[in-house]
Amino acid sequence: MSDVAVSMPAEGCHIFSGCGYPAPSITDFYFRPIFTIGSFQFTKPMLLAIVSGAIVVTFFFVAFRKPKIVPRGAQNVGELGVLFVRDQILRPQLGKEGDKYLPFLVSIFFFVWVMNLFGIIPLIDFPATSRIAFPAGLAFIVWVTYITIGMRAKGPIGYFRAMAIPQGAPWWILPLLAPIELFSNILVRPFTLTIRLMANMLAGHLLLLVFGVAAWYLFSASIGLLYATTSFLLTIILTGLEVLIQALQAFIFATLTAFYIADAKQTAH
Amino acid sequence: MSGNGAGGSRPDGRDSSQPRPDGRDPSEPRPASEGWAYLSYLIGGMALYGLVGWLIGRWTGLPWLFGVGMVLGLASAVALIIFRVTRS
Repeated sequence: MSDVAVSMPAEGCHIFSGCGYPAPSITDFYFRPIFTIGSFQFTKPMLLAIVSGAIVVTFFFVAFRKPKIVPRGAQNVGELGVLFVRDQILRPQLGKEGDKYLPFLVSIFFFVWVMNLFGIIPLIDFPATSRIAFPAGLAFIVWVTYITIGMRAKGPIGYFRAMAIPQGAPWWILPLLAPIELFSNILVRPFTLTIRLMANMLAGHLLLLVFGVAAWYLFSASIGLLYATTSFLLTIILTGLEVLIQALQAFIFATLTAFYIADAKQTAH
Repeated sequence: MSGNGAGGSRPDGRDSSQPRPDGRDPSEPRPASEGWAYLSYLIGGMALYGLVGWLIGRWTGLPWLFGVGMVLGLASAVALIIFRVTRS
Protein backbone atom coordinates (compact mmCIF):
# COMPACT_ATOMS: atom_id res chain seq x y z
CA MET A 1 0.00 0.00 0.00
CA SER A 2 2.99 2.26 0.29
CA ASP A 3 3.37 2.79 -3.43
CA VAL A 4 2.12 5.99 -4.96
CA ALA A 5 0.46 5.78 -8.33
CA VAL A 6 3.22 6.60 -10.75
CA SER A 7 1.70 7.59 -14.04
CA MET A 8 5.02 9.08 -15.13
CA PRO A 9 8.32 7.27 -14.72
CA ALA A 10 11.26 8.96 -13.11
CA GLU A 11 12.52 11.93 -15.06
CA GLY A 12 15.19 11.19 -17.59
CA CYS A 13 14.15 7.58 -17.86
CA HIS A 14 14.05 7.23 -21.60
CA ILE A 15 14.90 4.58 -24.15
CA PHE A 16 18.62 4.10 -24.96
CA SER A 17 19.62 5.65 -21.63
CA GLY A 18 20.11 2.32 -19.94
CA CYS A 19 16.72 2.55 -18.37
CA GLY A 20 14.17 -0.22 -18.78
CA TYR A 21 10.53 0.43 -19.60
CA PRO A 22 8.83 1.20 -16.28
CA ALA A 23 5.82 -0.97 -17.03
CA PRO A 24 2.63 0.06 -15.28
CA SER A 25 1.30 -2.58 -12.97
CA ILE A 26 -1.35 -3.20 -10.39
CA THR A 27 0.67 -1.16 -7.91
CA ASP A 28 -0.43 1.91 -9.87
CA PHE A 29 -3.85 1.31 -8.36
CA TYR A 30 -2.59 1.69 -4.81
CA PHE A 31 -2.25 5.14 -3.36
CA ARG A 32 -0.45 6.68 -0.46
CA PRO A 33 -3.16 7.77 1.98
CA ILE A 34 -4.07 11.44 1.90
CA PHE A 35 -4.59 11.33 5.64
CA THR A 36 -4.88 8.67 8.28
CA ILE A 37 -7.22 8.35 11.24
CA GLY A 38 -6.00 5.56 13.45
CA SER A 39 -5.76 2.57 11.15
CA PHE A 40 -8.15 4.11 8.63
CA GLN A 41 -6.40 5.39 5.55
CA PHE A 42 -8.19 7.91 3.40
CA THR A 43 -7.01 7.52 -0.20
CA LYS A 44 -7.56 9.15 -3.56
CA PRO A 45 -10.21 6.66 -4.80
CA MET A 46 -12.30 7.37 -1.69
CA LEU A 47 -11.99 11.08 -2.29
CA LEU A 48 -13.01 10.58 -5.92
CA ALA A 49 -16.06 8.55 -4.92
CA ILE A 50 -17.16 11.25 -2.48
CA VAL A 51 -16.57 13.95 -5.08
CA SER A 52 -18.57 11.95 -7.66
CA GLY A 53 -21.47 11.67 -5.28
CA ALA A 54 -21.25 15.37 -4.49
CA ILE A 55 -21.15 16.28 -8.19
CA VAL A 56 -24.21 14.18 -9.01
CA VAL A 57 -26.21 15.44 -6.02
CA THR A 58 -25.24 19.06 -6.58
CA PHE A 59 -25.94 18.94 -10.29
CA PHE A 60 -29.43 17.50 -9.94
CA PHE A 61 -30.18 19.76 -7.00
CA VAL A 62 -29.24 22.84 -9.01
CA ALA A 63 -30.97 21.55 -12.13
CA PHE A 64 -34.32 20.91 -10.46
CA ARG A 65 -34.26 23.48 -7.67
CA LYS A 66 -36.71 25.75 -9.46
CA PRO A 67 -38.17 23.63 -12.23
CA LYS A 68 -39.78 25.55 -15.05
CA ILE A 69 -42.25 24.33 -17.63
CA VAL A 70 -39.88 25.35 -20.37
CA PRO A 71 -36.55 24.09 -19.11
CA ARG A 72 -33.43 26.17 -19.52
CA GLY A 73 -29.77 25.67 -18.74
CA ALA A 74 -28.96 23.00 -16.19
CA GLN A 75 -32.58 21.88 -15.97
CA ASN A 76 -32.46 21.11 -19.69
CA VAL A 77 -29.41 18.90 -19.30
CA GLY A 78 -30.81 17.32 -16.16
CA GLU A 79 -34.08 16.45 -17.88
CA LEU A 80 -32.16 15.01 -20.80
CA GLY A 81 -30.26 12.75 -18.39
CA VAL A 82 -33.32 11.66 -16.44
CA LEU A 83 -35.33 11.03 -19.59
CA PHE A 84 -32.47 9.01 -21.04
CA VAL A 85 -32.42 6.75 -18.00
CA ARG A 86 -36.22 6.50 -18.04
CA ASP A 87 -36.64 5.71 -21.73
CA GLN A 88 -33.51 3.71 -22.44
CA ILE A 89 -32.93 1.86 -19.16
CA LEU A 90 -36.07 1.78 -17.04
CA ARG A 91 -39.03 1.59 -19.43
CA PRO A 92 -37.77 -1.28 -21.62
CA GLN A 93 -37.44 -3.45 -18.50
CA LEU A 94 -40.04 -2.29 -16.03
CA GLY A 95 -42.65 -0.51 -18.10
CA LYS A 96 -44.58 2.52 -16.93
CA GLU A 97 -45.36 1.24 -13.43
CA GLY A 98 -41.63 0.94 -12.81
CA ASP A 99 -41.25 4.71 -12.77
CA LYS A 100 -41.03 4.67 -8.97
CA TYR A 101 -37.56 3.17 -9.34
CA LEU A 102 -36.42 6.06 -11.54
CA PRO A 103 -34.61 8.00 -8.76
CA PHE A 104 -32.69 4.87 -7.81
CA LEU A 105 -31.62 4.12 -11.38
CA VAL A 106 -30.76 7.74 -12.16
CA SER A 107 -28.55 7.86 -9.06
CA ILE A 108 -26.82 4.60 -9.92
CA PHE A 109 -26.25 5.50 -13.55
CA PHE A 110 -24.84 8.96 -12.97
CA PHE A 111 -22.82 8.01 -9.91
CA VAL A 112 -21.13 5.17 -11.76
CA TRP A 113 -20.66 7.25 -14.88
CA VAL A 114 -19.00 10.15 -13.07
CA MET A 115 -16.74 7.78 -11.13
CA ASN A 116 -15.76 6.18 -14.45
CA LEU A 117 -15.26 9.54 -16.14
CA PHE A 118 -12.56 10.49 -13.64
CA GLY A 119 -10.38 8.01 -15.49
CA ILE A 120 -9.88 10.38 -18.41
CA ILE A 121 -10.15 13.77 -16.75
CA PRO A 122 -6.68 15.33 -16.81
CA LEU A 123 -4.89 15.64 -13.45
CA ILE A 124 -7.38 13.23 -11.86
CA ASP A 125 -6.77 10.32 -14.22
CA PHE A 126 -8.19 7.59 -12.08
CA PRO A 127 -11.52 5.80 -12.37
CA ALA A 128 -12.66 5.17 -8.80
CA THR A 129 -14.64 2.15 -10.03
CA SER A 130 -11.41 0.34 -10.88
CA ARG A 131 -11.04 -0.33 -7.16
CA ILE A 132 -13.32 -3.25 -6.43
CA ALA A 133 -14.82 -1.85 -3.25
CA PHE A 134 -16.93 0.73 -5.08
CA PRO A 135 -18.56 -1.56 -7.65
CA ALA A 136 -18.93 -4.18 -4.92
CA GLY A 137 -20.68 -1.72 -2.63
CA LEU A 138 -23.02 -0.65 -5.38
CA ALA A 139 -23.70 -4.24 -6.39
CA PHE A 140 -24.53 -5.01 -2.76
CA ILE A 141 -27.06 -2.17 -2.71
CA VAL A 142 -28.58 -3.49 -5.94
CA TRP A 143 -28.64 -7.02 -4.50
CA VAL A 144 -30.42 -5.94 -1.32
CA THR A 145 -32.84 -3.87 -3.41
CA TYR A 146 -33.96 -6.57 -5.79
CA ILE A 147 -34.20 -9.23 -3.10
CA THR A 148 -36.28 -6.88 -0.93
CA ILE A 149 -38.55 -6.06 -3.85
CA GLY A 150 -38.97 -9.75 -4.63
CA MET A 151 -39.76 -10.61 -1.01
CA ARG A 152 -42.24 -7.80 -0.68
CA ALA A 153 -44.00 -8.85 -3.85
CA LYS A 154 -44.21 -12.52 -3.04
CA GLY A 155 -43.22 -13.09 0.58
CA PRO A 156 -39.84 -14.54 1.64
CA ILE A 157 -40.64 -18.20 1.03
CA GLY A 158 -42.59 -17.59 -2.14
CA TYR A 159 -39.80 -15.45 -3.50
CA PHE A 160 -37.12 -18.04 -2.89
CA ARG A 161 -39.35 -20.69 -4.36
CA ALA A 162 -39.92 -18.58 -7.43
CA MET A 163 -36.23 -17.84 -7.60
CA ALA A 164 -35.21 -21.49 -7.43
CA ILE A 165 -37.71 -22.85 -9.93
CA PRO A 166 -37.08 -21.66 -13.46
CA GLN A 167 -40.28 -21.01 -15.31
CA GLY A 168 -41.00 -22.82 -18.52
CA ALA A 169 -38.73 -25.77 -17.80
CA PRO A 170 -40.22 -29.28 -17.87
CA TRP A 171 -40.34 -30.93 -14.44
CA TRP A 172 -37.89 -33.73 -15.13
CA ILE A 173 -35.02 -31.33 -15.71
CA LEU A 174 -35.77 -29.15 -12.68
CA PRO A 175 -33.39 -30.95 -10.28
CA LEU A 176 -30.59 -30.02 -12.66
CA LEU A 177 -31.68 -26.45 -13.35
CA ALA A 178 -33.01 -25.27 -10.00
CA PRO A 179 -29.57 -25.13 -8.32
CA ILE A 180 -28.22 -23.05 -11.20
CA GLU A 181 -31.14 -20.65 -11.03
CA LEU A 182 -30.79 -20.18 -7.29
CA PHE A 183 -27.00 -19.97 -7.39
CA SER A 184 -27.12 -17.51 -10.27
CA ASN A 185 -29.79 -15.29 -8.72
CA ILE A 186 -28.28 -15.10 -5.28
CA LEU A 187 -24.54 -15.27 -5.81
CA VAL A 188 -23.47 -14.86 -9.41
CA ARG A 189 -25.51 -11.77 -10.23
CA PRO A 190 -23.96 -9.35 -7.75
CA PHE A 191 -20.58 -10.92 -8.41
CA THR A 192 -20.69 -10.44 -12.19
CA LEU A 193 -22.10 -6.95 -11.73
CA THR A 194 -19.06 -6.08 -9.63
CA ILE A 195 -16.42 -7.78 -11.73
CA ARG A 196 -17.72 -6.49 -15.06
CA LEU A 197 -17.50 -2.87 -14.00
CA MET A 198 -14.26 -3.17 -12.05
CA ALA A 199 -12.42 -5.22 -14.68
CA ASN A 200 -13.45 -2.91 -17.51
CA MET A 201 -12.29 0.18 -15.68
CA LEU A 202 -9.09 -1.47 -14.44
CA ALA A 203 -8.20 -2.71 -17.92
CA GLY A 204 -8.98 0.66 -19.49
CA HIS A 205 -6.87 2.55 -16.99
CA LEU A 206 -4.00 0.12 -17.37
CA LEU A 207 -4.19 0.40 -21.16
CA LEU A 208 -3.98 4.19 -21.04
CA LEU A 209 -1.08 3.92 -18.58
CA VAL A 210 0.83 1.50 -20.80
CA PHE A 211 0.72 3.78 -23.82
CA GLY A 212 0.98 7.03 -21.88
CA VAL A 213 4.07 5.86 -20.03
CA ALA A 214 5.47 4.40 -23.25
CA ALA A 215 5.07 7.73 -25.03
CA TRP A 216 7.16 9.35 -22.33
CA TYR A 217 9.68 6.53 -22.14
CA LEU A 218 10.26 6.33 -25.91
CA PHE A 219 10.62 10.08 -26.24
CA SER A 220 14.25 10.77 -27.19
CA ALA A 221 16.28 12.24 -30.03
CA SER A 222 16.38 8.98 -31.97
CA ILE A 223 14.10 6.60 -33.80
CA GLY A 224 12.33 6.44 -30.45
CA LEU A 225 10.65 9.72 -31.34
CA LEU A 226 8.64 7.95 -34.03
CA TYR A 227 7.56 5.27 -31.58
CA ALA A 228 6.74 7.91 -28.99
CA THR A 229 4.51 9.76 -31.46
CA THR A 230 2.71 6.56 -32.36
CA SER A 231 2.26 5.69 -28.73
CA PHE A 232 0.98 9.17 -27.96
CA LEU A 233 -1.54 9.01 -30.81
CA LEU A 234 -2.68 5.63 -29.56
CA THR A 235 -3.15 7.09 -26.09
CA ILE A 236 -5.48 9.71 -27.56
CA ILE A 237 -7.41 7.16 -29.60
CA LEU A 238 -7.73 4.86 -26.58
CA THR A 239 -8.94 7.78 -24.50
CA GLY A 240 -11.76 8.14 -27.00
CA LEU A 241 -12.49 4.43 -26.65
CA GLU A 242 -12.50 4.84 -22.88
CA VAL A 243 -15.13 7.58 -23.09
CA LEU A 244 -17.34 5.08 -24.87
CA ILE A 245 -16.62 2.22 -22.48
CA GLN A 246 -17.15 4.35 -19.39
CA ALA A 247 -20.60 5.40 -20.53
CA LEU A 248 -21.38 1.87 -21.72
CA GLN A 249 -20.41 0.26 -18.42
CA ALA A 250 -22.50 2.73 -16.44
CA PHE A 251 -25.37 1.99 -18.82
CA ILE A 252 -24.97 -1.77 -18.45
CA PHE A 253 -24.78 -1.51 -14.67
CA ALA A 254 -28.01 0.49 -14.51
CA THR A 255 -29.70 -1.68 -17.15
CA LEU A 256 -28.90 -4.86 -15.28
CA THR A 257 -30.18 -3.29 -12.07
CA ALA A 258 -33.46 -2.56 -13.83
CA PHE A 259 -33.55 -6.09 -15.22
CA TYR A 260 -32.95 -7.66 -11.81
CA ILE A 261 -35.72 -5.57 -10.28
CA ALA A 262 -38.07 -6.51 -13.12
CA ASP A 263 -37.11 -10.16 -12.73
CA ALA A 264 -37.74 -10.10 -8.97
CA LYS A 265 -41.19 -8.65 -9.57
CA GLN A 266 -41.91 -10.90 -12.51
CA THR A 267 -41.16 -14.21 -10.81
CA ALA A 268 -43.70 -13.06 -8.25
CA HIS A 269 -46.85 -14.08 -10.05
CA MET B 1 -45.05 -25.66 -9.48
CA SER B 2 -44.41 -28.53 -11.84
CA GLY B 3 -44.54 -28.42 -15.59
CA ASN B 4 -46.12 -30.99 -17.81
CA GLY B 5 -43.31 -30.78 -20.29
CA ALA B 6 -45.68 -30.46 -23.22
CA GLY B 7 -45.09 -26.77 -23.86
CA GLY B 8 -47.89 -24.42 -24.79
CA SER B 9 -50.27 -24.43 -21.82
CA ARG B 10 -48.46 -23.90 -18.56
CA PRO B 11 -49.28 -24.97 -15.03
CA ASP B 12 -49.35 -21.38 -13.81
CA GLY B 13 -52.01 -20.54 -16.34
CA ARG B 14 -49.88 -18.30 -18.49
CA ASP B 15 -48.94 -19.14 -22.01
CA SER B 16 -47.29 -17.36 -24.85
CA SER B 17 -50.55 -15.88 -26.13
CA GLN B 18 -51.20 -14.02 -22.89
CA PRO B 19 -49.74 -10.59 -22.15
CA ARG B 20 -46.51 -10.55 -20.25
CA PRO B 21 -46.64 -9.44 -16.62
CA ASP B 22 -44.59 -6.36 -17.40
CA GLY B 23 -47.29 -5.22 -19.78
CA ARG B 24 -45.31 -5.57 -22.95
CA ASP B 25 -46.57 -7.06 -26.13
CA PRO B 26 -45.23 -10.64 -26.38
CA SER B 27 -44.40 -10.08 -30.02
CA GLU B 28 -42.24 -7.13 -29.11
CA PRO B 29 -38.54 -7.97 -29.18
CA ARG B 30 -36.94 -8.33 -25.78
CA PRO B 31 -34.41 -5.71 -24.80
CA ALA B 32 -30.92 -6.79 -25.80
CA SER B 33 -29.76 -6.08 -22.26
CA GLU B 34 -31.42 -9.29 -21.12
CA GLY B 35 -28.54 -11.05 -22.80
CA TRP B 36 -26.19 -9.47 -20.28
CA ALA B 37 -28.30 -10.87 -17.50
CA TYR B 38 -28.28 -14.42 -18.84
CA LEU B 39 -24.50 -14.42 -18.68
CA SER B 40 -24.82 -15.13 -14.98
CA TYR B 41 -26.49 -18.46 -15.77
CA LEU B 42 -23.54 -19.58 -17.88
CA ILE B 43 -21.05 -18.60 -15.21
CA GLY B 44 -23.23 -19.95 -12.42
CA GLY B 45 -23.84 -23.26 -14.13
CA MET B 46 -20.20 -23.88 -14.87
CA ALA B 47 -19.04 -22.75 -11.44
CA LEU B 48 -21.65 -24.73 -9.51
CA TYR B 49 -21.44 -28.04 -11.34
CA GLY B 50 -17.72 -27.60 -11.87
CA LEU B 51 -17.36 -27.36 -8.10
CA VAL B 52 -19.60 -30.36 -7.55
CA GLY B 53 -17.65 -32.34 -10.14
CA TRP B 54 -14.36 -31.33 -8.61
CA LEU B 55 -15.47 -32.32 -5.13
CA ILE B 56 -16.78 -35.69 -6.29
CA GLY B 57 -13.60 -36.09 -8.32
CA ARG B 58 -11.47 -35.50 -5.23
CA TRP B 59 -13.58 -37.88 -3.22
CA THR B 60 -13.53 -40.68 -5.78
CA GLY B 61 -10.05 -40.01 -7.12
CA LEU B 62 -11.31 -39.34 -10.63
CA PRO B 63 -10.06 -35.83 -11.48
CA TRP B 64 -11.74 -35.77 -14.90
CA LEU B 65 -15.11 -35.44 -13.16
CA PHE B 66 -14.26 -31.74 -12.84
CA GLY B 67 -14.45 -31.38 -16.62
CA VAL B 68 -17.62 -33.43 -16.77
CA GLY B 69 -19.16 -31.14 -14.16
CA MET B 70 -18.17 -28.03 -16.10
CA VAL B 71 -19.64 -29.32 -19.35
CA LEU B 72 -22.79 -30.52 -17.58
CA GLY B 73 -23.15 -27.12 -15.93
CA LEU B 74 -22.69 -25.29 -19.19
CA ALA B 75 -25.19 -27.52 -20.97
CA SER B 76 -27.74 -27.09 -18.16
CA ALA B 77 -27.24 -23.33 -18.21
CA VAL B 78 -27.86 -23.20 -21.96
CA ALA B 79 -31.01 -25.30 -21.49
CA LEU B 80 -32.14 -22.99 -18.69
CA ILE B 81 -31.64 -19.92 -20.85
CA ILE B 82 -33.59 -21.51 -23.70
CA PHE B 83 -36.50 -22.31 -21.37
CA ARG B 84 -36.48 -18.82 -19.91
CA VAL B 85 -36.27 -17.00 -23.22
CA THR B 86 -38.91 -19.06 -24.99
CA ARG B 87 -41.38 -19.17 -22.14
CA SER B 88 -43.18 -15.94 -22.98
